[in-house]
Amino acid sequence: MNLELQKGSRSKKLIAMVAIIMAIFVMRLFYLQIIRHDYYVGLADEEQVKRLTIPSKRGNIYGLNGNTPVPLVLNQTVYTVFADPQTVTDDDKIIEVIKRVAGGNARSDLQALLDKANSRYQILATKVTRAQANLIKNENLNGIGFQEESQRVYPEGSLAAQTLGFLNFNGEARYGVESKLNSRLTGTDGLLQSVTDVSDVPLTIGDNNINQPAVDGENIVLSIDRNVQSHVEQFLADGLKRTGATNGSAIVMDPQTGKIMAMANLPTYSPAEFNKVEDAAVFNNGVVSAPYEPGSDVKTLTMATGIDKGVVSANSTYVNTDYIQVEDRTITNATLGQTGTITFQHALNWSLNTGFVTVAERLGDGKSVNRQSRDIMYDYFHNKFKLGQLTGVEVAGEAAGIVISPDKSEGNAVRYSNMSFGQGLDVTMVQVAAAFSSIVNGGKYYKPTVLAGIVNSDGKYIANKIASASNTVSESTANQVREMAHVARNVFFNSVDKAGYYIGGKTGTSQVIKDGVYSDNETVGTYLGYGGSEETSRYVIMVQVSGDNMELQGSRDALPIFTDISNWMIDYLKIEPKV
Amino acid sequence: MADRRQKPIVKIASHARFSDMTNIRRHRPDYLIVLYMGLLMLLGLIIMYAIGPQRANVLNNAYGSNYSNTYFFVKQAISLSLALFVFVVMSVLPYTWVTKYADKLVLLSLAACALLAIAGWANWGIAQQTLGATRWFNLGSLGTLQPAELLKFSLLIFAASFLGAKSSQGKINDLQDTLIPLAIIVCISMLFIVVIQKDLGTGISLVSIIVSMLFVGGINKKNSLMALLLLVLGGVMLIVIAPHRIERITTYLKGDDSSTKDSSSYHIEHAKIAIGTGGLFGVGIGNSVQATGYLPEAINDSVFAIMGEMFGFVGLMTILAIFVALLLRLLKVMDHLVDMRLKLLAAGVFGWFGSHVILNVASMVGVFPLTGITLPLLSFGGTSILFITAALGLVFQLSRYTVHSSHLKEAQHENSSSRRGIGRSRYSSRSSVTRN
Repeated sequence: MNLELQKGSRSKKLIAMVAIIMAIFVMRLFYLQIIRHDYYVGLADEEQVKRLTIPSKRGNIYGLNGNTPVPLVLNQTVYTVFADPQTVTDDDKIIEVIKRVAGGNARSDLQALLDKANSRYQILATKVTRAQANLIKNENLNGIGFQEESQRVYPEGSLAAQTLGFLNFNGEARYGVESKLNSRLTGTDGLLQSVTDVSDVPLTIGDNNINQPAVDGENIVLSIDRNVQSHVEQFLADGLKRTGATNGSAIVMDPQTGKIMAMANLPTYSPAEFNKVEDAAVFNNGVVSAPYEPGSDVKTLTMATGIDKGVVSANSTYVNTDYIQVEDRTITNATLGQTGTITFQHALNWSLNTGFVTVAERLGDGKSVNRQSRDIMYDYFHNKFKLGQLTGVEVAGEAAGIVISPDKSEGNAVRYSNMSFGQGLDVTMVQVAAAFSSIVNGGKYYKPTVLAGIVNSDGKYIANKIASASNTVSESTANQVREMAHVARNVFFNSVDKAGYYIGGKTGTSQVIKDGVYSDNETVGTYLGYGGSEETSRYVIMVQVSGDNMELQGSRDALPIFTDISNWMIDYLKIEPKV
Repeated sequence: MADRRQKPIVKIASHARFSDMTNIRRHRPDYLIVLYMGLLMLLGLIIMYAIGPQRANVLNNAYGSNYSNTYFFVKQAISLSLALFVFVVMSVLPYTWVTKYADKLVLLSLAACALLAIAGWANWGIAQQTLGATRWFNLGSLGTLQPAELLKFSLLIFAASFLGAKSSQGKINDLQDTLIPLAIIVCISMLFIVVIQKDLGTGISLVSIIVSMLFVGGINKKNSLMALLLLVLGGVMLIVIAPHRIERITTYLKGDDSSTKDSSSYHIEHAKIAIGTGGLFGVGIGNSVQATGYLPEAINDSVFAIMGEMFGFVGLMTILAIFVALLLRLLKVMDHLVDMRLKLLAAGVFGWFGSHVILNVASMVGVFPLTGITLPLLSFGGTSILFITAALGLVFQLSRYTVHSSHLKEAQHENSSSRRGIGRSRYSSRSSVTRN
């Protein structure tokens, strides 16, 4: 009996023991799972949740080869080779291998870099290609590492350099399309946030996972035609050699769409080696960023204004005395002797300033460039032809230039008299070329553009639609001025053009303002013209040459470059001659 | 015989011998044991299904092995089927027959341990070496066998008979006859398990089996203190000889201030992270992140922590409740057994099962230094499940022979010989064999 009771009590003790231990477990689990739950979730997340940025790819930039995109700017993976001087074991071998494989991409003072014993990171070579990096890797050098990065490469070298721009060493876009369209080219980095297993493999567990794929930048197709661009650059370079000019710019536009087929600026540079450029001025695309006084080529626009307003025509006449008095100034013709009663066509042929001051006067009361005349000129030059306004061409650094309004005191009769023959206003070549295109195409102003379309993710070229145009002058006005320019060119230069085509243009020789006054020993030569068949002009070309203290002339120095380009364009565009 | 059954239970107990099994009517066993065991097995199988793919993935990544997603589930299912078969065998194989071979079984398992030690020392292929310890025989396609588990099982049966007999003779506290011989056997076993096989967990569970038996068998205070002293001394010695155990104790003493960055506390901290992230209701089955390689031994010793992550506080409470219910069933069967040898067997199984559950959970929640020990019926692992179900099978068999007050009344007031004669006569025929 006694024994039996004792045994029963022992099993009760065991039950009590189990109960006590379980109570401890319950309290402990309550503490861990309920009270400290957030703490442990935090610890777990710290360890389990990985965030990964998926870099987006910068868009490529293409040009055109006829109607087919060809790459002008691509991405390439390159490597930075670095050393951890503290774990490096064989200095001599490293120096030998790096110098042999990386060549010019290696730093010059490798031994000094490896001697920096306190450092853990020294760059030994940059922009090493994948193949070179593999060669270095195969040497199994201790303490050498590689960092992958993306670099822009330029299959066409320096072609259209100022239009393209470049990425600096920090990867920031500078100049050109790269800078202007940076946001479209950049794309958006993706984000991957995921619970991962112990070897960082993402799991589908949990509801805090983010999988935001990278959106690559757009692949942009420029309207720059590789063939036109390279020939324009060549003809321009030839022309500079011929004339001794140090600087030259040229633009080739399709007057029917506003698309720019070529923009060339000399001297130029190679975007891949932008760091070797000494004078940052070469980065600028002078065609869009360097306003100047264009000179006599603007007479076509003055003529168009007069004809459009019905105050003059090609064959209406005025009395030329080679001088004209505007307030206290006397305006003189550059070429003297064509005096008497002459037509405005004659005045254009000989580029007589008095003729265009007369047009300006006739826009007013016929005796002076009065307020009414100036308002009309301003309306045409600034509002319709959009001179002195940003065109919005997709190249960084575009300058607006200036056409001074008659509302301002500087917008007086003297200035507007000067403006009628291309002085006293600051405009860019792209503005003039776009305005002149509207003369050539029957009065429609197309915004100048370097964009032709995009290459989508499937590699398919999708062309932009042609933007709508605004009107400058009536079609009849435009056609009359177009014919006048044709006549003007053929009076003196009819033998240089291919036979059977309809070419026209206007020279310009403008003085340069230096330190606020017109320099008497430096002029800029310009030629502005068009070409194609009699029915349709297919191109507008504007050429400008200049040089320090050089008197360059439109007819002697710029026109031959135009002629070279024009004759080549006729062949390239396969334009049918008129029989 | 009928007249003897009509005596009060006290009288029966005072005459208790093994033969009492035959004197008590074989009745309906305690099916709750099967129910709880089945629930736990099923739960273990679900866990293997849920985290087996992660485990396979982790191993495949780390060792280039080629485990399929269902490998661990299928293997566990096979182990459990085998275990259920063993359970059925043990529940019908007459216990008296099993006890007859107890001493031989002990010798056999000690021999197996010795062979393993030699094989491990000589680098024979049959000995599987893992993490610097040799604990398993590699039987090729048959899988692996842990002789320590066999030793535990045979010592359970042997000690139950031995101590049961001594207790019945009132000699449980006799040093010469009882305690010293027992201590020698335990020491030899511990030498193999803890020192040679470096398996402290199995060693503690073996000691727990013996201690439970001594406790229930009626050891007195003086001897209890002496045994406790010996155990503490032995424990300290075993800890001192193994640096990794010292490290685990230092980590334990840091408590919740230990850091995941510290390699020695990596395991326990991740067990706590797994349990802690579970919260009230858990992250849901199949959503365990810690099982994807963060928490070591996710399917074996750490399965409790993974369940904590998946099922949360509520889930763990339920699981602990099932374990406690099963432990209470074992005690209930023990209480209502009359023969001391049978009682001690049930006590030993309680000690076995209870030590595994308590040590494992205590390790995982950080209230005891980390000890490598399986959570019975839930952890992945064939040998461990096989022997624990064998032991449960024996208790299930014994649950047919419990004596309850209702039985006594029945025995007193009914002439049951006519109604239940078949069962009785069938077993009474063996009475002569078992009466020794």
